[in-house]
Amino acid sequence: MSAFLARNRLIVLAYAGMVLLLLVTALFSPGFLSVSNMRSTVVLAAFVGIVALGQTFVIIGGGIDLSVPWVLNSAAIIMALLCGGQDLPLVWVMPLLLAGGAFIGLINGIGVAQFGVPPIIMTLATNVILQGLILVLTGGSPTPSAPALIQFLSVGRLGGFPVIALIWLALTLVATLLLSKAAFGRHLYALGTSATVAEFSGVPTARTTILTYVISGLTAAFAGMLLTGYSGQAYLGMGDAYLFTSIAAVAIGGASILGGSGHYLGTVAGAMVLTILTGLLPALNLSSGALLIVYGAVILLTVSIGSETFAGLGGRLRGKEG
Amino acid sequence: MSGELFESACMDLVTVNGLSKRYGGIVALSEATFSARAGEVHALLGENGAGKSTFIQILSGAVRHDGGSILVDGQDYRPANPDAAQARGIAAVFQELSLIPDLSVEQNIWFRHEPRTWLGTVNRTEMRRKTLALLEKYSFPALRPDQELRRLTLAERQIVEIAKGLAKDPRILILDEATSALPAREAEWLLKLTRQLASEGRLVIFISHRMAEVRAIADRLTIFRNGSTVAAHEANAVSDNEIVTQMIGRHLDRLYPERVSTATDRIALGVKGFSSGSRLSGVDFALREGEVLGVGGLQGHGQRELFQALFGATRASGSIELWGKPVSIGNPRQALTGKDGIALVPEDRRGQGLLLTKSVRENLTLSVIKRFTENGLLSRQKEAALVKEMVDFLRIKAGTPEQLAGTLSGGNQQKVIFGKMLLTQARVLLLYDPTRGVDVGTKGEIFQLMRDLAARGYAILFHSSDMPELVHVADRVLVVRNGRIAATLEGDHISEEEILRAAMLETRAA
Repeated sequence: MSAFLARNRLIVLAYAGMVLLLLVTALFSPGFLSVSNMRSTVVLAAFVGIVALGQTFVIIGGGIDLSVPWVLNSAAIIMALLCGGQDLPLVWVMPLLLAGGAFIGLINGIGVAQFGVPPIIMTLATNVILQGLILVLTGGSPTPSAPALIQFLSVGRLGGFPVIALIWLALTLVATLLLSKAAFGRHLYALGTSATVAEFSGVPTARTTILTYVISGLTAAFAGMLLTGYSGQAYLGMGDAYLFTSIAAVAIGGASILGGSGHYLGTVAGAMVLTILTGLLPALNLSSGALLIVYGAVILLTVSIGSETFAGLGGRLRGKEG
Repeated sequence: MSGELFESACMDLVTVNGLSKRYGGIVALSEATFSARAGEVHALLGENGAGKSTFIQILSGAVRHDGGSILVDGQDYRPANPDAAQARGIAAVFQELSLIPDLSVEQNIWFRHEPRTWLGTVNRTEMRRKTLALLEKYSFPALRPDQELRRLTLAERQIVEIAKGLAKDPRILILDEATSALPAREAEWLLKLTRQLASEGRLVIFISHRMAEVRAIADRLTIFRNGSTVAAHEANAVSDNEIVTQMIGRHLDRLYPERVSTATDRIALGVKGFSSGSRLSGVDFALREGEVLGVGGLQGHGQRELFQALFGATRASGSIELWGKPVSIGNPRQALTGKDGIALVPEDRRGQGLLLTKSVRENLTLSVIKRFTENGLLSRQKEAALVKEMVDFLRIKAGTPEQLAGTLSGGNQQKVIFGKMLLTQARVLLLYDPTRGVDVGTKGEIFQLMRDLAARGYAILFHSSDMPELVHVADRVLVVRNGRIAATLEGDHISEEEILRAAMLETRAA
């Protein structure tokens, strides 16, 4: 464990930042640390955290997924349409939409890994295409309300805990196992560190790359369905905020945006930090415009701390041979 | 004024006393001393990890020292960065190239020092003129100033790097293993160039692991070991043996192990009509079990393509049989898979071989990580046990297996790559220039390891840019010329002369 901490100083920093931010927020807004408020903070953070799960894998592998907003939004809207407010259709709608999200990820991954399309272009394109498809599909008309079961998953409680927090916990466990305890994780870090070295070492680079985008498609689609439950219905543009927050959570969580490092445990702290910030800023009487400015500043700050560490490491690497 | 002139003529150009540098707990330099005069070629010798690189990184402003003093021209010298070092007339050409692939040769040479017009834009005409003048003054091998760097071979890039160093018109030029990437003819040119620079009154600090080169050009030499200066000599007052003994701190009986052929009749790797790109056209050969088969020839005649294509890193046509079975290898993963695999020690240790920012452990097990999983979960105990075994077997000098590969010395990095290869079950090994930039002690270990592996039934294809290595280590040598095998040398016929003759015959006739 201590080795893990030593090698993941940035993750520890993210958690330290999270705690500090909690205390500061509590100072300005005394009710903030109350059980009910913490509960709703965790629920909000869970949506960011789930979208950012896939993003974490993609970024560690050296890519980026800009298609999350409309994968999320598409899943939300199609689910609402297909279920028509009924629970029963969820039995086939949920698996279908998860498969759909995975399929979009597959296309992203194949474009990047097999055809060499830069990740930014590839995923930006799928995002826009999905947006177009959904506009054609709905004609802009509102969708039926979310099925009760989905509402239970996103705002319900089990033994006092928000159901979605338990889902998030389970996903965190799975992600941690994949990253730390599976061959896939080792391959992923190698790929993100140097695709050439990974290829020369027999790492299945194409398969690994594709898999990261598939995971991202899955988590975005899943988050879309849950988010519909949270807001009671699906609407156009509901995924837009998650592009920035998913990447920001990964960056704040200590991953290098260039790939090869980071961990989902860091992203969890990142998602919490971003959500607590959204709670702090109204307490400071800041507008939503100011919120965006602070958001951007936080990202800049954390990424530059990260890159400084990176530069320091680079200096150490250059300084060793003799 | 005249007093100053008199002084600077007699005084050493560089005087270093008590120089120290640590990286965390690792002492890279402790109390090193050094002095060199203008107008001499001063060789810096030592095993990898002896502190040479740290020393020249301090001199060139890439790294700052913790203790001790450096005097240049009798004045304190403590550059904050490479620009400050260049302002004092010190430039360095490193092994790791600093060139930008997307820029042309001349843009790289003058990078950040481009001649300007009065508008502040780059003066291309002037840049071209200065480039041609520079290339001509020092008789550079054919280089087109407008060629895009990414199209150049490693050797050509090294030459551009040298030109870039010279473009700063330095009084002190540091060459860090500049010859190691160069083919014989270009290496010879560089040695001549080095003498020319010294005769212009410059100081050249020259680092090389090739004793013959040091012998050919150095006026004086300084030997480092374990971060300290062991000795400084006039070059003609000391024997090779004394130098090697001082470098490694013990007496090295011999660099090359005894060559006992362990080759059997069984063919491990049979290659027929093997072609790849425009550089490799129709190669046939057979590598036998227990054999070390050398691949020689002039640089750029298809050796690199042969190794890469056999490993599946580049597309190829033709037939390959492994242990008698026809196989098709589409990528390195297929090459490495299974008992009948092929493994490669690649040319570019840092770019192809190692994850520099990952640990020794992660590097060693990367190719075989699946083997440590039980029900899909990694067993760290199993991994750690095998890593320890390999670290001990190869005597990899790392603090712990968690040390980052990039912080190891070159020789130890190469050992990690060997370990990574040996952990796979491949028994056909492709070694592309495995001793490049490796210190003499580790070189000896690598040759011994090659013979030991051959004796255990491995089949080894071995390329070296240092021809004596082929002559002394290989059982047979294939000489490649224009993408074909020009000759196969065996037994007493293996000599540098024979290799060169076979490599150049057609070139001469043409």
